[in-house]
Amino acid sequence: MENKDLITRYNYDSFVPEKFQPWMRWDEAPKAGTQGPDFPLWDLDENKVSLGKVISESLYTIVEFGSFT
Amino acid sequence: MNSLAEKYADENVNSIFLYTHEAHPAENYPHLTSMEQKFRHARALRDIYGVSRPILVDALDGACHRAYGSMPNMTWIFDKNKRVLYRSSWTDAISVEKMISELVEVNQRRRNRERLTPFEVEKLDFRIIDREGFYKGLARNGPKAVKEFDEAF
Repeated sequence: MENKDLITRYNYDSFVPEKFQPWMRWDEAPKAGTQGPDFPLWDLDENKVSLGKVISESLYTIVEFGSFT
Repeated sequence: MNSLAEKYADENVNSIFLYTHEAHPAENYPHLTSMEQKFRHARALRDIYGVSRPILVDALDGACHRAYGSMPNMTWIFDKNKRVLYRSSWTDAISVEKMISELVEVNQRRRNRERLTPFEVEKLDFRIIDREGFYKGLARNGPKAVKEFDEAF
């Protein structure tokens, strides 16, 4: 999974258009009514969890994406 | 978003924060180069910004974030079968609450044996521009974040 070039480009070091704009791919994201893809994630104790499993445990799940910055 | 999570928790609505990459990397919170650093930044988000929802951290290559369109602060709502019910390119608690309250109502109507079927709606929503708060956040990241944002827009 560790594609070093991808990791470097995704974790860009400066907020300049040529570095952040390529990642704005809203039009390519899953549409309403479709099933969202599942991915492994990690909690803050560094335990591996599954997004799909988390979602399946509640009637509805709100997922906010973001970061410190 | 934290208070929204508390308000709807009894309705079997879960709320999580998914940690992605640094949108405005700067002196205090530079771009990510390791999972250790990513966990450290995610814990800072919890401790400094007071995010009380469970925080889940994406892989270092942002596999999940990228698959969902990589917008810096988007919100999605899913049903328990992972079906996308709401997708918003920006997070706005008022917008999210409008949707989640509708969904809770739909669930109640179904319990009352109403026969309901979904259909698609596309619309624009509107949020308040909090320029002061946004710049305060950028400044917290470091002067580089403020400078780069001003140069980009």
